[in-house]
Amino acid sequence: MTPLIWPSEGVTRAPYRVLADPEIYAEEQQKIFRGPTWHYLCLDAELPEPGTFRTTHIGETPVIATRDKDGSIHGLVNRCSHKGALVCVESSGKSNQLTCLYHAWSYDLQGNLCGVPFHRGVNGQGGMPETFKFSDHGLERLRVETYCGLVFGTFSKEVEALEPYLGPLMTAHLRRVFHKPVEVLGYYHQSLQNNWKLYMENSRDPYHATILHAFYATFKLNRLTMDGGITLEHDGWHSMNFSMGATLKEGGEYDSAGLRNVVEDVGLAGPELLKRTQEFEDGITVAIQSMFPTCVNQQIYNTLAIRQLTPQGPKRCELHWTVFGYKDDTPELRQMRLTQANLIGPAGYVSIDDGVIGEYVQRGIGGTGMDDSAVMEMGGSAVESCRGSRATEATLRGFWTGYRALMGL
Amino acid sequence: MNLTESQRRQIEDLQARYIRLIDDDRIEEWPELFTDYCLYRITTRENFSKGLALGLMECQGQGMLADRVTGLRKINVYEPHRYSHQISGLVVESFDGETAVCRSNYLVIRTMADGDMSIFSAGVYLDKIALDPDGARFEERIVVADSRRIDTLLVIPL
Repeated sequence: MTPLIWPSEGVTRAPYRVLADPEIYAEEQQKIFRGPTWHYLCLDAELPEPGTFRTTHIGETPVIATRDKDGSIHGLVNRCSHKGALVCVESSGKSNQLTCLYHAWSYDLQGNLCGVPFHRGVNGQGGMPETFKFSDHGLERLRVETYCGLVFGTFSKEVEALEPYLGPLMTAHLRRVFHKPVEVLGYYHQSLQNNWKLYMENSRDPYHATILHAFYATFKLNRLTMDGGITLEHDGWHSMNFSMGATLKEGGEYDSAGLRNVVEDVGLAGPELLKRTQEFEDGITVAIQSMFPTCVNQQIYNTLAIRQLTPQGPKRCELHWTVFGYKDDTPELRQMRLTQANLIGPAGYVSIDDGVIGEYVQRGIGGTGMDDSAVMEMGGSAVESCRGSRATEATLRGFWTGYRALMGL
Repeated sequence: MNLTESQRRQIEDLQARYIRLIDDDRIEEWPELFTDYCLYRITTRENFSKGLALGLMECQGQGMLADRVTGLRKINVYEPHRYSHQISGLVVESFDGETAVCRSNYLVIRTMADGDMSIFSAGVYLDKIALDPDGARFEERIVVADSRRIDTLLVIPL
């Protein structure tokens, strides 16, 4: 296939071919997922004691996060060094040793090979040669760092430490949310029939949020006419869009835009759904923070969640939601979070719409779409933070800035 | 306490009406199968078996059921589709004279507007069914889906 040349307009364009081409997808696995980037693995709170582990993926690579006896956390590739089978098949568990089911090669919590059945042979015959060294055959190890209770891993030896990678604005927002011990309330998993980047654009896109998501606009939960803004970091690789619910101005652009999104004759028959409390002093009611490439930290009122996306081929990906509250939540606040969870996840009044919209793009760009590009000129061509207006696509341009840098496109 | 034959038929009739109202696209009538202060929750085996309280849908009371109907009729964006429910293995586990605790299997086949068909969800209904002379209604229906994963989205109740 002809090499891809990025349109001369720069990041106000994104060629649709990067959303479907298997060769480009394979290159992303190398240059992005095994490149100089940090990837969310799990919450520190999900590894509560020595021997606990969780499995996940970085790109398509299966990964285990383990809690060692000394409390440290290790990231290991979940692939037996013998024949390549998964070592841990459960999503989480507890064991002082990780043992492959195939031939029972076993590893300690740091990934060191510590057992090979019959390695000295049977009745003096067979077995491993003298040259076989256990120390050469451990599980592949990742660099792992934890920030505010979020565990990240990377394959890269070159990438800077996690905190400077995320930058001061992103880490400040993480400290805002993860300021005390969290408690996992549950999980959602959602398969999306679209390229992974379509979801990562969607989570960064403040322009669509109040148009596609009629629930927001109908119940005046999030409108572009509220105070809010976008914050970009690391040349826009990471970004956050936020709104402040107490600042809604009535009328104006929404009423004159003729949007389908304000459904007039609707009221909630169960208004307790929207019973909520202002738990953050800064007045932010909705904040969606996207950390390059595939991690989202979400606050929608009192629902808090980490969303992690794993690609599964050029046209499919899976979204994993870890929904949490705080350990010291009152029973009322905990119930409020569980009730408001109706807004999020695969069945969420707000997020249902995102389930299908990426698929509509994926289907729309087939055929001649492979020679065409998306247009992202809302807010001009700048890739910078903006306070006040969220009628901008600067956050998407930031994502593509990071993508181009890593892919050399 | 043992159920009478007619009480047993009331329960079976409730189960059948539940799938008729959803599968025949009469979803506006679906909340009427529940008591005023009901609980309807869809969760996954992953959350349920770990004792995690999070649901995919969490409706407390008929009003919140009605809001789910409003959501799918008027608010949310999704590709048109319909369900075919298959229900089997109904067992009444206990009955205290007013409420029957029941358990049954469900299977939902989803058909999209373009003809694509798939097994969308399979799992268990854990029910508390209020029985009175007027008929049977759900006090509680906990839907525990065997798969932890939803394909694309969940907008029509299971």
